[in-house]
Amino acid sequence: MARSNLRLRISQSPVLRDGLAVLSVSAALGGALLIERLQLRNITLFLFAIAVAAWYGGTGAAVLALLLSCISFSYFFVGPSHTLYISRADIPYFILFASFAWLVSWFSSVRRRVEADLLQAHDKLKIEVSERSSLLNLTHDTIFVRDMSDSIRYWNRGAEELYGWTPEQAIGKSSHELLRTVFPSPLDDIQAEFLRTGRWEGELNHTKADGTQVIVASRWSLRRDEREQPIAVLETNNDITVRKRWEQEIQSLNQELAMRSTELEAINKELEAFAYSVSHDLRAPLRHIAAYTELLQKKATSTLDDKSNHYIKMMLESAKRMGNLIDDLLAFSRIGRAETQKTLVSLEQLVREALTEVRDDTEGRNIAWQIGALPDFYGDRSMLRLVLVNLISNAIKFTRPRPQAEIAIGCADGNEDDLVIFVRDNGVGFDARYANKLFGVFQRLHQASEFEGTGIGLATVQRIIHRHGGKVWAEGAVDGGATFYFSAPKPRGHLWKP
Amino acid sequence: METMNKLGRILLVEDDAKDVELTLTALEEYNLANEVIVARDGEEALEYLYSRGKFKTRSSDNPAVMLLDLKLPKVDGLEVLKQVKSEEKLRMMPVVVLTSSKEEKDMVASYKLGVSAYVVKPVDFHQFVNAIKELGVFWAVINEPPPGSVKK
Repeated sequence: MARSNLRLRISQSPVLRDGLAVLSVSAALGGALLIERLQLRNITLFLFAIAVAAWYGGTGAAVLALLLSCISFSYFFVGPSHTLYISRADIPYFILFASFAWLVSWFSSVRRRVEADLLQAHDKLKIEVSERSSLLNLTHDTIFVRDMSDSIRYWNRGAEELYGWTPEQAIGKSSHELLRTVFPSPLDDIQAEFLRTGRWEGELNHTKADGTQVIVASRWSLRRDEREQPIAVLETNNDITVRKRWEQEIQSLNQELAMRSTELEAINKELEAFAYSVSHDLRAPLRHIAAYTELLQKKATSTLDDKSNHYIKMMLESAKRMGNLIDDLLAFSRIGRAETQKTLVSLEQLVREALTEVRDDTEGRNIAWQIGALPDFYGDRSMLRLVLVNLISNAIKFTRPRPQAEIAIGCADGNEDDLVIFVRDNGVGFDARYANKLFGVFQRLHQASEFEGTGIGLATVQRIIHRHGGKVWAEGAVDGGATFYFSAPKPRGHLWKP
Repeated sequence: METMNKLGRILLVEDDAKDVELTLTALEEYNLANEVIVARDGEEALEYLYSRGKFKTRSSDNPAVMLLDLKLPKVDGLEVLKQVKSEEKLRMMPVVVLTSSKEEKDMVASYKLGVSAYVVKPVDFHQFVNAIKELGVFWAVINEPPPGSVKK
């Protein structure tokens, strides 16, 4: 390497090149003069000098050496001596000499050029190879090369990092043995496909140096020599253990979910059948009790005493109440089962509609309404309407003892994602300790004789709001009025309209 | 003979004896009960409508209206309705569903099959009597039944 560089450097400097020509011819001249002195007239030494100049100095040096050789030869050895005169008889001799010298220098220069090219190609290759393997070491992927007998030939840094063996430990070993590879299908099948197509992709299980298992996405490429014989396999592996674990987890979660939803579906169906039978079979006997009691009342009122008539009245009232309870319960269960049809709903419009619906309850009452600006709401129109009707009629009902009832409906400060609507009254309120009971089915905080109702209204409100992804809550104090809130996600893509 | 001409025949399809009694009581109050035929299940109703079985000998005219309960033994109300509406001779006969159920799916199914009215029996007997009276008066007296109905 050092020598070849030295040679290349000499040939590249013109001063040294020409100097070499002069030096070699001078040496030849000296030698020839010495031989002349010994009566030996020989031109071979000059040819030798030209060859040396051509070999080491290139074509320029060879031409210079040839010129100097001719002059020296003519001056010293061709008569008349010590002149440059060349007799006609000597000219063919000179031409022959020059031709021969040219041939020698041409050979040597060609030879030298070939050698230089070869050296350069070799150096380039070396640089490329070292660059490439350092590139392969840069990547995080695990890359190794194995020959056709599965012996590892190259092992990059990624492979060392993943598996824990250094290149020195890995190279020369059988890759499948070292990594205890578990194949997805029989190895013979994989090999056959691989040799046929030159490529293979699949998932492999490997065992690391520390004994832990990894799952890799493996890609193999086959390398062939110029005679198309397979010589090596480049194997690139990606660690997908974590991803696989997630995938498995997701899969098992999905299965669980599918199972749960089948269960839920079955439960829902059962519930539906239950509600259906309640609706049909429970109402019929109730209707009969009421009807026959009424027929009895009609027939026997005059013959019965006051107490008996009172009993009959109580029976009828109870039957009616039970009828209402069944109806409310069925309506409540329907809300849970019905599909919500969501649209953008104007709450202002809905409040107006709800107020029309409860107008009968406000007759003869002195109520100061305070209705603030209300936003649009994304939800099921008829369900949301039921929410407002329930909350407003509650407010009307529980302000009944007030000579001046005040009911406010508005939009409270929610957060960025939720709208919060409230209905506030100055009615009898409730004991804050029982606030959590307000929204339960058939839960009532007041005597039925005080305020009528089945105790299903707020449960319905809660169920509807939950189905809209929102929350309900209430604030209040005994005799201090009550405020009911509900929230729901703000409609997306629509501007908040105060 | 003249009043008979005015009052159409009512086919009451009802399995519950109490409901039959109460319905007849309600109709009686308004003198609408004399032309009521009671079928106690869907099969009997179809036998009557097709004049077969024990109704083999009846005249082939259709009733002025059929009051039909939905939950019936053997052949249920919706099935009776389906058969009636697919039969050329019967499809024009008015059918009123009279049921305990307020179930939406029953209501939707009934209207889809072309029912004339859907009435939920009220728990309150007063309201029940009123409902039956109005139904009887409307369908058996006021409404002009389609051709092929009882005229005798």
